[in-house]
Amino acid sequence: MNFHRTWLFSQFELTRLFATKRGWLAVTAFSLVWFMVLRYPIYNAVPFLNSPEFEGFVSQLAGTIGLNSLVSWPEAELAIFWVIALFTFPMFALFVTADQTVEDRNRGTVRFLTLRSARFELLFGRFLGQVMILAALIGLVSIATLVMMSMRESSLVGSGIIKSVAIWAKLLVTCLPFIALMSLLNLVTNSARMSIVFAILFFTIVASIITYIGDVYPMFAWLNYLIPGHHIGDITGWQSSSNFALLLPIFQAAALLGAAQFILRERDL
Amino acid sequence: MSTVIEVSALSKSFGAKQALSGVNFKIEQGSTVALVGPNGAGKTTLFSIICGYLKPDMGQVDILGHSPRSAALFSKLSALPQDAQLDPKFSVAKQLSFYAQLQGMDKKSALADTQRVLELVDLSHVAQSKTSELSHGMRKRVCIAQALLGNPEIVLLDEATAGLDPKNAKAIRNLIASLKGHITFILSSHDLSELERLCDTVLYLEQGQLSSHQSDLHQTQQGSYITLQMLNLNDQMQAQIAQLQGVTNVRQTQSDELVIEYTKHAEPLDLSLLTLIHKNQWTYKQIVNGRTLENQLFID
Repeated sequence: MNFHRTWLFSQFELTRLFATKRGWLAVTAFSLVWFMVLRYPIYNAVPFLNSPEFEGFVSQLAGTIGLNSLVSWPEAELAIFWVIALFTFPMFALFVTADQTVEDRNRGTVRFLTLRSARFELLFGRFLGQVMILAALIGLVSIATLVMMSMRESSLVGSGIIKSVAIWAKLLVTCLPFIALMSLLNLVTNSARMSIVFAILFFTIVASIITYIGDVYPMFAWLNYLIPGHHIGDITGWQSSSNFALLLPIFQAAALLGAAQFILRERDL
Repeated sequence: MSTVIEVSALSKSFGAKQALSGVNFKIEQGSTVALVGPNGAGKTTLFSIICGYLKPDMGQVDILGHSPRSAALFSKLSALPQDAQLDPKFSVAKQLSFYAQLQGMDKKSALADTQRVLELVDLSHVAQSKTSELSHGMRKRVCIAQALLGNPEIVLLDEATAGLDPKNAKAIRNLIASLKGHITFILSSHDLSELERLCDTVLYLEQGQLSSHQSDLHQTQQGSYITLQMLNLNDQMQAQIAQLQGVTNVRQTQSDELVIEYTKHAEPLDLSLLTLIHKNQWTYKQIVNGRTLENQLFID
């Protein structure tokens, strides 16, 4: 594998989002949605979380769902942002990264590319590009949340930056298998839209069946590890042992990319 | 001359349809090869296997000592695949310079080379246009331009002039002719007169099999055949031509066309033929040294 060519592919993906009119429209829409999320649910929830009157109720509720450590964060905005982002970004990633190679394959553009690069360089470069796009978007919202928090309490900026970086990294790692799943689905479907449909079917039907099999036959419970996002429950409450759970999405992404490479290597273009 | 492409016992099928069956041939460096055959003969399949888009079921393809898809061939083998399009969301220059960078050029050289190849196809003025803004013919020429980025040793052009207007088709033919010798070209087209003008070797595929492999298309060995196209051709003309010294056979291949077979003689046949035409005040349209590609493939 040639790293320079792989890097060129990933850089080109960035220009797809940040150097085209269509890309800027998508970034604008994304920013507006998160502006609304920050302005209303998060901004309004912070006084509620910090209120001494509701402290007991909030702690009790958070304890029930395993979010005890989060409610103790003085950076309440970041705590709420973390929970919302953890459950929305993976799904968002499916849509944002839905077209990695499929449209180029339909148009025949990959034929120009594979005369100049290895198929895996194309696959991995595009994957890496999508990771960088997600990294930029998660970073954008993390910074916005941090700014909102610092407007309320500027003394929290130092600790807030550390937490923001940790949130950014954990969210990004969580999204990896979702991006890799779309890399794979791009090779077995004929359009970005069909890739999304297949992903939705996977997370509704296949994941439900796997969960059911794991519940009924515990010997097959390991199959749950095949489902991207399986680790989310283990990291939501920011438990001290949760860092180990972050290895799972990395392994899942590697396995999905391996499967994608096998398919791409064998398939006709 | 060294062999740049060697294909041995190549076979490929799609379900029950045998697209290629036991195809063997060699292509020498610097030659310009015509790949001819009816629709569905396997031309595009053969192109796709050489480019590495398809895997053969059986057989071997050796390109400059490497297998298709080998990294050693990147930037040495380039192609205009049939129906392949550039991304309509980006400008021509952005995409071509990106391809050049993939071939190992730095950004500055890539932009300069993009400009160079666009000038070759007379499209430097559309460098900043998106491909969606270009006509079909322009898009085709841009795709030909991408095949010339860098210094390719082998260029495969699948139906390069199909869909181009006569002026631009001629410009592309002139471009290929000017690059002949430096680059080994493999051209697929249904325009036999175009291939005849450009190529020195013909591969004729029919039902997946290589039924003809000719490498002396332009009859560099003096003698043997003359193709004559006449106005108001009649039996009397044919009879008089048959009487000329050295003529062994005269065959009418079209309403206005004769193929004259002859053996070498003291007086060159083309001179005696022109003298006969002048003496009888006949009007000829064209005299071709040898047989046309069409006659070689479909009449013999």
